Amino acid sequence: MPNGPLSGIRVFDLTIAMVGPWCAMQLGAMGADVVHVESRDVTGAGVPPSIKGQSIGYITWNMNKRGIQFDLKAQNDRADAYELLKTCDVFLMNMRPDVAGRLGVDYESVSKVNPNIVYVAVTGWGQTGPMRDLPGADGQIQHYTGFGSANGVEGSEEGEIYRHFTQMDATTGNYACQAILMGLLARKRTGKGQRVDVSMLRAITALQTGRVTEYLSSGNDPKPLGHKAQSVAPSQAFLCQDQRYLGVEATNEVEWRGLAQAIGKPELADDARFATNSDRVAHRNDLSAILEPVFASMPLDYWVLELGKTGVPCGRPMRWDEIKNHAQVTDNGYLVDIETKSWGTVKTGGPPWHFSKTPARWFRPSEYGEHSEEIMAEVRAELAADPKTAAARNQ
Amino acid sequence: MPGPLDGYKVVELAEGVAGPYAAMELGDGGADVVKVERLGGDRARGWGSSALGTLGSSFLGMNRNKRSVSVDIDTDGGAEVVRRLIADADVVIADAGWAQHPQLQPDALTSLNANLVYLCISEYGESGPLANRPPYGELSAQLASEATTSLGVIGQAPVRTATDTAQMFAGIYSTQAVLAALFARDEVGGQRIDISLFGCLVALRSTLWVALAHPDEWWGFHLDSYVKPQDFGYACKDGNIYFSINRATQEQRDQLYRDLNMEWIKTDPQYDLVNTDGAGGTARYAHLAKPLWEKAFKQLPKQQVIDAVRAIDGWAFEKNTYSELVASEQAKFIGLIDTRDHPGLGPVATVGIPWEFADTPASVRLPAPRLGEHADEVLSAAGYSASDITALRSRGVLAGA
Repeated sequence: MPNGPLSGIRVFDLTIAMVGPWCAMQLGAMGADVVHVESRDVTGAGVPPSIKGQSIGYITWNMNKRGIQFDLKAQNDRADAYELLKTCDVFLMNMRPDVAGRLGVDYESVSKVNPNIVYVAVTGWGQTGPMRDLPGADGQIQHYTGFGSANGVEGSEEGEIYRHFTQMDATTGNYACQAILMGLLARKRTGKGQRVDVSMLRAITALQTGRVTEYLSSGNDPKPLGHKAQSVAPSQAFLCQDQRYLGVEATNEVEWRGLAQAIGKPELADDARFATNSDRVAHRNDLSAILEPVFASMPLDYWVLELGKTGVPCGRPMRWDEIKNHAQVTDNGYLVDIETKSWGTVKTGGPPWHFSKTPARWFRPSEYGEHSEEIMAEVRAELAADPKTAAARNQ
Repeated sequence: MPGPLDGYKVVELAEGVAGPYAAMELGDGGADVVKVERLGGDRARGWGSSALGTLGSSFLGMNRNKRSVSVDIDTDGGAEVVRRLIADADVVIADAGWAQHPQLQPDALTSLNANLVYLCISEYGESGPLANRPPYGELSAQLASEATTSLGVIGQAPVRTATDTAQMFAGIYSTQAVLAALFARDEVGGQRIDISLFGCLVALRSTLWVALAHPDEWWGFHLDSYVKPQDFGYACKDGNIYFSINRATQEQRDQLYRDLNMEWIKTDPQYDLVNTDGAGGTARYAHLAKPLWEKAFKQLPKQQVIDAVRAIDGWAFEKNTYSELVASEQAKFIGLIDTRDHPGLGPVATVGIPWEFADTPASVRLPAPRLGEHADEVLSAAGYSASDITALRSRGVLAGA
């Protein structure tokens, strides 16, 4: 079995809650040896539900790691942590800016122990500015960054936030993962580690690049449009004869012609009101009024077949029972089964990237401190064999 | 100072959001990105505000730090341009819409360059009955992954996220994968990577899938989106806020009731609800207690409510529109928005770069390109002579400039 793309990399994963753990989980999936450092048993804390003391959040965000127990406020443990740090390539933490110093893991301390480490700190709002010390997590980031201003039922005056919190946390973790990988690539060239900062505020504004840039260009704040797109038309859901909604999109003029043909109204493609995407956006209500009765006249599956013939993007809502058994999911391995101590077998998202030569891996979260002795034994053996840091050896 | 990806060469064969965003991230990191476009250009040039012609607002945001070459890929000459660029590249970001072209099949392209990291983005994945569909459908991916169940009114029409989350998640994961493959290249050489919009959304909803392992137990503080009503925040006199005091002591709660002039709550029949499982944020019964909190909040300006909640170590934040976000002190302080002159357009603002590298800073160096703007310089670097380029242009193979 070939190794993941990051095999040989070791990560000091001093993270809590979701943003940091999620980031490190991705690195572990790609083959890095991620050492999750915990100072107390938090397997039962955080996100309910918990079963036998282990929380759902802990299970989902801490796969692909080994676990070690350190109390960084205690001298002995801190000394051991510094030994571990000497063998690490990456340091990751997501605590508020003032916490790192108290735990002896601010950049100055860590880079003194290991000058070649890629040190990534994730915060809510940034390392500077009036909000630097405030806490940040999914819900408030959605509100603050405007993510919640543009979603909602068409015509609603007030936008709503996405009720399944975790996506903003995960997205920030994913941006932090990019930062770590770029830091490792830069180290290949420069031979040096460095400090990198990532904030939820920057990350979630970047996630909204399309909408925010539209605002910056037009000066108009977006209003909720329900299932319709802000800048593409048609891109909306239609209620079909069998009372199911079908999402239909025409993202360029070729697809628009295909749509007009598939619904038996080829003349629409030559209608000046709908000639270009900009025209269709400007006349989106006229367009909807024409298309709605057409889709209401036949069942959803009929339209999926017809639109497929002319290459028009379309799709229908699926629920969990359908998703987990769908051939697209099983054939592409988008879900994996994980054996957990507390929960038995659970299904969760697997690797979203498919590498042809360096496949990702996926394994259960460690129990609290499960690998403490094993990891420190490895670290001492490595340092005895070669007292230089792992980072220095990589040069 | 050069960025972290200084020296890497990227060729983009993609349109819309996912592929272009991934390529832009590599460009932000310092890579040299050549965006190859069909003669009509990336479809996203026509998305968003049309005041800017073929530099639509969405396109401006997704395509900085790139040079554009526009060729007729249905001709041998155009396909040869693409092949020459790829022979010398480190990375190709492609999407399934491009990869289906007979002249641009992945196997033919990867055989040109053993060190090539070739990434392809599709809507639903590279296998299965919906294999290799182009990734331009945003709503379809949101619907298929049941992402739309977390917005809108239960039982009514689906509501999408206004941001193109399916395509953006795929773009972000694509960048990760390319970076990891570049890291592994010393060991294994180039390789192919596949990513899909659907697969990325399924991954992003993992927490929910695990909760559903035990449906009888699955109530969780943010996993109950199937049963909770829409969340607009809490209305104050002059706008809405987010607030949560889940961890507050009774003493702190009492202080807050005083500061918000809502001591009447103590004799209200719903006092227990407000005081325990209804204390804002993700509290289990927050939606039931909300009208009582709002009764007090609506009498006060939002800043006063925020200050009072923060005074007891609770969490409170403005619910912003984009204009409020951009105008906020924190956004200005950290330079959240990047504004620079675009030749012909004047000042153009885009979202700043999400990572801050101390020693190898990522940077905005080029504004989004006009169609085919850099054909001459890119082709001449690829070995085409001035007369070759003129000939390609006169045959209609090469557009722009």
